[in-house]
Amino acid sequence: MKRNLLYVLVLVTLLLSACGGGTTPTVVSATQPPASGGSDATLKIGWIGKPDTLNPAYAFLTESYTIFDLIYSTLVTEAADGTYEGMLAKDWSVSDDGLTWTYHLKDGIQWHNGGPFTAGQMAWAINAIMKDPEGWAASANYTGGFKEVTAPDDKTVVIVTEYPIANMDYRTSFLYAVYPPDFETFTTSADLQNFTNFAAIGTGPFKVKTFDKDTGVLLLDSNQAYFDGAPKIGGVIFQTFDNTDAMIQALKVGDIDLVNEVPASAFETVKGFENVTASAIDGRYFNELIINSVDPNNDPAPTGNPALADPAVRLAIAHSINKQDIVEVVAQGLATPGDTIVPPTLGGGFWHSPNVKEIPFDTAEASRVLEDAGYILGSDGVRAKGDLRLEFRLQFPSDSAVYPRIADLMAGWFAQAGMKATPEAVDPDALVAATTPAGDYDLVLWGWGPDPDPDFILSVMTTDQFVDGGWSDSGYHNPEYDQLYLDQQQIVDKAERQKVVWKMQEMVFNDRPYIVMYYEKMLQAYRSDRFAGFIESPLGIESAQSLLNVTAVK
Amino acid sequence: MNRRDYLLRKFGLSIVTIFVVVIINFLLFRVLPGDPVRAVVGRNVRISAETQRALREQFGLDKPVFPDQFFDTLGQWAQGNLGVSWSLRRPVSEVLMSKLWNTVLLIGLGQLLSIIFGVILGLLAGWKRKTAIDVGALTFSLIAWAIPTFWLGIILLAAGSTWFGLPTGGIVSPINVGKPLYTIIPDVARHLILPTFTLTILYLGEYMLIMRSSILEVLSEDYILTAKAKGMSHWQVLWKHALKNAMLPIVTLIALNLGFTVSGAIYIETVFSYDGLGKLFQTALTKQDYPLLQGAFLLLAVSVIIANMAADVLYAVLDPRVKES
Repeated sequence: MKRNLLYVLVLVTLLLSACGGGTTPTVVSATQPPASGGSDATLKIGWIGKPDTLNPAYAFLTESYTIFDLIYSTLVTEAADGTYEGMLAKDWSVSDDGLTWTYHLKDGIQWHNGGPFTAGQMAWAINAIMKDPEGWAASANYTGGFKEVTAPDDKTVVIVTEYPIANMDYRTSFLYAVYPPDFETFTTSADLQNFTNFAAIGTGPFKVKTFDKDTGVLLLDSNQAYFDGAPKIGGVIFQTFDNTDAMIQALKVGDIDLVNEVPASAFETVKGFENVTASAIDGRYFNELIINSVDPNNDPAPTGNPALADPAVRLAIAHSINKQDIVEVVAQGLATPGDTIVPPTLGGGFWHSPNVKEIPFDTAEASRVLEDAGYILGSDGVRAKGDLRLEFRLQFPSDSAVYPRIADLMAGWFAQAGMKATPEAVDPDALVAATTPAGDYDLVLWGWGPDPDPDFILSVMTTDQFVDGGWSDSGYHNPEYDQLYLDQQQIVDKAERQKVVWKMQEMVFNDRPYIVMYYEKMLQAYRSDRFAGFIESPLGIESAQSLLNVTAVK
Repeated sequence: MNRRDYLLRKFGLSIVTIFVVVIINFLLFRVLPGDPVRAVVGRNVRISAETQRALREQFGLDKPVFPDQFFDTLGQWAQGNLGVSWSLRRPVSEVLMSKLWNTVLLIGLGQLLSIIFGVILGLLAGWKRKTAIDVGALTFSLIAWAIPTFWLGIILLAAGSTWFGLPTGGIVSPINVGKPLYTIIPDVARHLILPTFTLTILYLGEYMLIMRSSILEVLSEDYILTAKAKGMSHWQVLWKHALKNAMLPIVTLIALNLGFTVSGAIYIETVFSYDGLGKLFQTALTKQDYPLLQGAFLLLAVSVIIANMAADVLYAVLDPRVKES
């Protein structure tokens, strides 16, 4: 009966609107009046996608981590400049042997439900991960090498590790203080993983008011008791859109106040919107050309063109990629040409090696390099040395809008140097299967979004990762590199570790399993007639640090 | 064959069809290339190779497709359990039900309006053949039928939100999420206007064209001439003699379209960020979420079969010849 009533009401509304449609369109205020000034203003964020869960044990989507950043706290956190600062911890230190980390907590920390937060609860949260790494699949990587976590008193957390851990700050910035009563009851890993925690309790600057798991709409209220000073706005709403055109339109008419990912194709349009500020800053994502570097003795044997193992061919390929053109033509200027696998934004630039010497785009030089190496130009325009023809498959994941254009450009430049590349779009899953561990490809275009710490992106190039389910797609295998990778994990001294990290990037740059094409810029926009004070950084203008600084425009 | 036997036979056939669909769906999804675990977790820095193995085990993918996975799935279904979605980590039946009503509301409303307006327009156009009404209605219907869904949706969205302040997406305003339905009816209705309007325009053309050609055919029959000769008014001829006969093809079309209602309207739902089954199907496919895919396709198969059965029964009611044969 109720449903019938609903139908009738909707029908009537529709008919009324249809009648209205016949008259001359009148300009009506698109939405509610602008957010009134003061602390009750709610910031509405539109995004594509939604959190899969609010349970850090089993959260894989970036959206979940955006929300974690707002509702949970960690011992330390990454600051806008890429360094680490205390969050729950007011200070922390490490023992001389690099094995014992002591964190002293700030005063006045309480849970969203008003209960006091203690060091014992933080220790419990970390121990839970160590006891059930399978259940806490998404966090287990961060506690690898932890031996014991204790709370000698209510204000102190002590982490003892089995070996010195170089990136301890980064790791502890992902160990969330979850509310123990919500997590204590699970007996199996699957039960824990199926717990979506949609009424999450944390200690962060915002607290969950409502989360609608179907539509993905998430309402957060400001935590007025936040220990580092309450947010200056009343709350945040996240609304999921399924297509970017509608989302951009929503920003234009004021249905939403902030878009955290503006598509590159719409950026120029958004810049022209009235009362909207658009920002493009260097981000972490990079796009690369993968060159098959799989060991010929690998099982199964790789099927890539053996000519790719020749350093001269790799150098010629590097000379045949016009990164500046890719940035300008394909990325519409919203990127910067790249060189190493550690983007300049990691650690505020601390980890990016300045020592690599860019290979200039020069197809004549590429031809000369190939000529010197004995690759003779054939009548069909393709060079060959004996049976080795410089003819390659150039594959890319089919869900990308930019790779087809890059592949076309690249095939053209390669042809100028006497190499033939055949672009081919492949289903992403099929491409994963073709690369790792099959090695059934020549050249592939793909990208990565590295973690704030260089450890992960460096691990992608290790031999160990070239297994089923591993992250190496190039098949790069270099024992010296592998050793350096293990070394850097245990060098607690930052300056010392930096030297090793730089050296590893240089090795990858010179051996060329990857040719990094460009670093993407992060494109965001917000309604400047409603809110001000956003902090632009690689963390995003929707990060906790930025939102703590945001005020409503009077 | 009496009516009971006829219905029983139809029912039996439907059960067999559903069973065949279940088996084909089970095999079809597993033939797709790619790895569901990878599809679910993506290219994710937080997932180690060991975790992927554990997940594969948890999903039962470490066992052979036949007989283990097949009989596990059948066994679960026999107990009325559609399993737990891998990507959403929620029971499949719960997920399907939560989207079903949204989709039925949107598509049902769109269909209803397009049927009403389509049939009326078709009737008018056929009756007033070769007049301005006919040409106008025909042109409009052909254009409406040919317009790409996505394009029309985006245009209406831009116009509706700019000029009429209509919402740019969703089913309710974020602020109303979680409130009881009866308190937010005006808000839901506001959100339904643009997608329903788009759907109505898109479907309308089809109904209008079929209705027009059907009524033209009927109007040329001898019994219409007889009716006119008996001195009946235009309205009486149209209402009592022509319409009922001309409705037969429309009934088939309606039944078929209603059957596919639960497949949602992926484009419309995507343009208007409407949380319905169409989008769910798409997500399930891209994530290779087997339990969700199987559940969704079962729902689709069952509704198409039920709609077809309904059409058969209706046909028998509308056209006595069907019953006799």
